[in-house]
Amino acid sequence: MTEYVIIGDGISGSSAAETLREEDPESSITVITDEGEALYNRILIKEHAKGKLPEAPISIHEEDWYAERDIELSLNTHVTGVDTDEKVVHTHEGDEIGYDKLLIATGGTPTQLPVDDSDAEGIHHFWTFQDARKIRESAEAAEKGVIVGAGLLGIDFAAVCGAQGVEGKYLMRGDRWWRYALSSEGAEIMHEGMREVGVEPVFDSGVDRFETDDGQVVAAIDPDGERHECDFAGVAIGLTFNTEYLGDIDLEQDNGIVVDQYMQTNLEDVYAAGDITRFYDVLLGEQAQNGSWGSAKEQGRIAGVNMAADDEAEEFEWVSSYSITHFDFPFLSFGHPTLGDDHAERKYSDTEWRRIAFKDGKVVGGVLIGDLAPQSKLKQLMREQRDVADQKEVLLEETVDLDDLAPPQEQ
Amino acid sequence: MLLLVILMATTTSAGRSLTLRRVDTVAPNAAVRHIDQLDDRTLERFYAALEGGRQLTATGTDLEPGTVIVATDYYRVEAV
Repeated sequence: MTEYVIIGDGISGSSAAETLREEDPESSITVITDEGEALYNRILIKEHAKGKLPEAPISIHEEDWYAERDIELSLNTHVTGVDTDEKVVHTHEGDEIGYDKLLIATGGTPTQLPVDDSDAEGIHHFWTFQDARKIRESAEAAEKGVIVGAGLLGIDFAAVCGAQGVEGKYLMRGDRWWRYALSSEGAEIMHEGMREVGVEPVFDSGVDRFETDDGQVVAAIDPDGERHECDFAGVAIGLTFNTEYLGDIDLEQDNGIVVDQYMQTNLEDVYAAGDITRFYDVLLGEQAQNGSWGSAKEQGRIAGVNMAADDEAEEFEWVSSYSITHFDFPFLSFGHPTLGDDHAERKYSDTEWRRIAFKDGKVVGGVLIGDLAPQSKLKQLMREQRDVADQKEVLLEETVDLDDLAPPQEQ
Repeated sequence: MLLLVILMATTTSAGRSLTLRRVDTVAPNAAVRHIDQLDDRTLERFYAALEGGRQLTATGTDLEPGTVIVATDYYRVEAV
């Protein structure tokens, strides 16, 4: 009987556990998590923080789910070390859990702002359900908020401020939100969305330090010395991957755990899945990272398939999607919009904009604001790896018709 | 309070018709999915229905009556 151990009960770890049970019914499966609750819907916790969604629908698995599948779930359990020679996982309670195959799916922890008083009361990071509960409670009582981190995670704080009636200042380091993927035209649509919910973008700014009163944040001071009064602050400047417990084992890492397209690390019988991986993207042709729910779920499934097969049975090939649903207009990012060597973009109206990223002539990602109709066709082109960068006009038409593209050339 | 925004229905191959109804609140026992959890085909049909004029074709999607979809608003999938 093969013994599988999965560290992490997020969507990738849980997906792997489910797949392993299906693929290897007689095996032993243990899932270890330091959280106090079983798998929940991480995409929806922002809706809870906004005050729009009750807790119950966010839970995905009750503990019974694991018992029914004969999966051992260890909640509130910190892994303190992994011995890949002896094939043993050590926990904070001194337990040693042996494995034949190990999956690391521990994701990341929000990076704390490296400034004074960044751990004061009222300053929040957003990752777990427990974070969401605290943010909701804090925002409900707050009047003025400051947000730091001009990316996909930071904008959730802007939405919380908007939904909870908190007057917000969104301090951005550059001249626009998500400057790596959006031009000024595209970003301005997002800025207007923020303003409409009561959050003012502040550009070329940031936080130099926080001011506190009896441990509670009362203001953020930007690098120019300007004071932004606040009793609520949201910090989302990135993730630090949870690899500290792995110690000095010879696991290849590069701002994440390096895996191939089969989710295998450089160590025999050690796999990784989810946000924590720097995986080989077969569509991109290079190592990449992705923090979307669908990608993490699929990586967990692929890891499970290959662990059970003890072979390179199936490779990870995925076009990810990440949506922002906080404003009146929809926003969708797909693939790798910040990568590539070429791009095309167009603004169609005050709420409609499109960007397509290319690498070696092929679509590798994009951002759609307002009109999401072309998303399935652009994803299809990405999957097919068609050489289309010389036909940007067709791809920027309001209605994309793939029949208008020149036929693919024989390779 | 329920707000009926769109009502587009079609008879599926299984003989089931569906409606999307915008809702302001979600019951604690409701099944809720974010649009990023929908597969590409379901997502495409969901948006096509929202953008108006086209029916929500449920065939080949995994939409179930009672499920609330979180998009720019909340929409409950209902059987007609």
